[in-house]
Amino acid sequence: MLHDIFVMALDAMKSYKIRTFLTLIGVIIGVASVIMVTTAGGSVSGFIAEQWNIFNPTGMVIGTGTGGATPQLQIRSAVFTANDVEKIQQLSSIKTIAPLGVVPLNKILIRNGFLNWESRPGQTMYASTPSLLEILNLKLAEGTMFEEGKNEVVISQNVVETFGKDKPLHVGDTIYLRRVDGITLEAKIVGILEQSSQFNMFNTLSTPGIICPTKPYYSSYFGSNVGTVLKRVVAYTVLLAEATDTNHVLDAQNQILNYLNNGGSDAGKYKDQNSDFVVITQQYILVRVDQIMSIIRTYITAIALISLMIGGIGIANIMFATVTERTREIGTMMAIGAKRRDILQLFLYQSTIIGLLGGLIGCILGASGSWFVVDLLNRNIQNLGGAFSTGNIQLTYAPEWFIIASIVGIFIGIAAGILPARKAAKMDPVVALRYE
Amino acid sequence: MSEYVIEIDRLTKIYQTGKTEFKALDNISVKIKKGDFVAIMGPSGSGKSTLMNIIGCLDRPTAGTILIDGENISIVTDNELAEIRGRKIGFIFQKFNLIPSMTALKNIALPMVFLGGSKADRERRAADLLGKVGLSNWATHRPPELSGGQQQRVAIARALSNNPEIILADEPTGNLDTKTGEQIMELLVALNKEGKTVLLVTHAISLKRFANRVINMLDGEATEE
Repeated sequence: MLHDIFVMALDAMKSYKIRTFLTLIGVIIGVASVIMVTTAGGSVSGFIAEQWNIFNPTGMVIGTGTGGATPQLQIRSAVFTANDVEKIQQLSSIKTIAPLGVVPLNKILIRNGFLNWESRPGQTMYASTPSLLEILNLKLAEGTMFEEGKNEVVISQNVVETFGKDKPLHVGDTIYLRRVDGITLEAKIVGILEQSSQFNMFNTLSTPGIICPTKPYYSSYFGSNVGTVLKRVVAYTVLLAEATDTNHVLDAQNQILNYLNNGGSDAGKYKDQNSDFVVITQQYILVRVDQIMSIIRTYITAIALISLMIGGIGIANIMFATVTERTREIGTMMAIGAKRRDILQLFLYQSTIIGLLGGLIGCILGASGSWFVVDLLNRNIQNLGGAFSTGNIQLTYAPEWFIIASIVGIFIGIAAGILPARKAAKMDPVVALRYE
Repeated sequence: MSEYVIEIDRLTKIYQTGKTEFKALDNISVKIKKGDFVAIMGPSGSGKSTLMNIIGCLDRPTAGTILIDGENISIVTDNELAEIRGRKIGFIFQKFNLIPSMTALKNIALPMVFLGGSKADRERRAADLLGKVGLSNWATHRPPELSGGQQQRVAIARALSNNPEIILADEPTGNLDTKTGEQIMELLVALNKEGKTVLLVTHAISLKRFANRVINMLDGEATEE
């Protein structure tokens, strides 16, 4: 009996193909977009979190900027001295610390050719200490780390082919670095970094990365170029540090801020009165990235859910039209023995089938659609080159959203069908039979 | 069981629209025997449609009683009423009222669907009935592909599908030409000869000759010729 009415509902839908199809589309688009948004959103946020995974979870950046609940770094003034680095290293919750200085370059030269390194703005070399590798989670593909005070550098994979694919640089090669102040320094390549899929400052889009020891490259440059206050002091804008373990990240953060703010530090003397010391931990970055992603995701999911609702209204609308149009049929069915329940079921089946079918097709379309979107994003990432070129967005389906979207689709189908079906079932057969 | 298939006793139906009352049926008493062929005649507004609706269990009386095959339809629930309609009454309408999305065969089987039973039985019976009205070759055609006369034959087959006591035909020839109408009437006469009680509601005096009893309706009152 139930089965027969189900078949009748299917027959009726088949005979109104275009109408059924249009109604279906509303649900399909709604369900598919919910799935696409949640899948693409989840995949991209996973990717971004990974890209931002600059150091291990115990890492942190120390600098100046605006403090408070949502601290922000403003990399402007160099205030941290070697003395500060040493003092912070001695704090109980700190495992390692490395200063980070920027040495802007004009050119890289090699002996057997005088080639201009493409003069893009922001060509920089980073000066630091050997402990930087550990903090940034970088690994050497070949060679060793430089030694402090020696004319040695470590280069990233991006620099290897600076002079062309046919003239790669090797460990042991000597290059000449022309700084923006015009001074050229000799440097022996002692190590080449492993290609990393993570976003880090040595793989940034515009700057092929070179890491050099602070002495001699940074100290000589810095001393000759800053304003009056810091004339003979070598200072860094940013320090990178690592806590002893994940449980001590907060302690480390507090200890550092405590040291910097309590008068004993050099940085405290040099710092601009209007700015604060800021310690941004890796955990904080990840939390922030996640917050931003979840806001975006919630927003788009809400829009997708609204489109699903509109699909439901579409069903209701069409069902009302169908019920009205088939009034005389309903009257006839009642005359030949249909009970009110039969009529109710007949129309509820139709809207449920639409919800179910729309949910199912929407799931399939949403799954393949998100595959397509992620694939497209990955192609674009490849085209961007640079830091992201090795990164890939992993397609991560969120099965709970498949279930939610289909259930909402089916539910909307049923809900949208209830009123029209009740209208049909409540008809007075005498009146319905007379309907023209 | 009584010899009467329909017993109407002091039946009154009043329609109320706002504050105005309209007495569509006024204290009617009629008894119809099993196997009767009754023509219910009268101009429009005479109450013949109301009477037909009540006999057809589509509507209930305001006062009085009506027994259909011994069952008092004033005191049954909506569901029971639908069941009585399905089991005991076969409707034939002026405009055929077939379901356009269903094949002829499925249309004929539809009243059986509402009563339950196996699909195979239903299809066998529907095919038999289709043969009985001479449309065996049209089983898979849908109503829009059939002529008016063919549609009415399908409708007659549908009316027979639950083997009802009463055939209720409301202007069955109203939408057909004279010749086709004649054929449809002959079909009804044949059914009557097989023992079905036929109630023919019409205002066409020419159809009177097919009936063995004629009830004239006027202003809600019934008189038998």
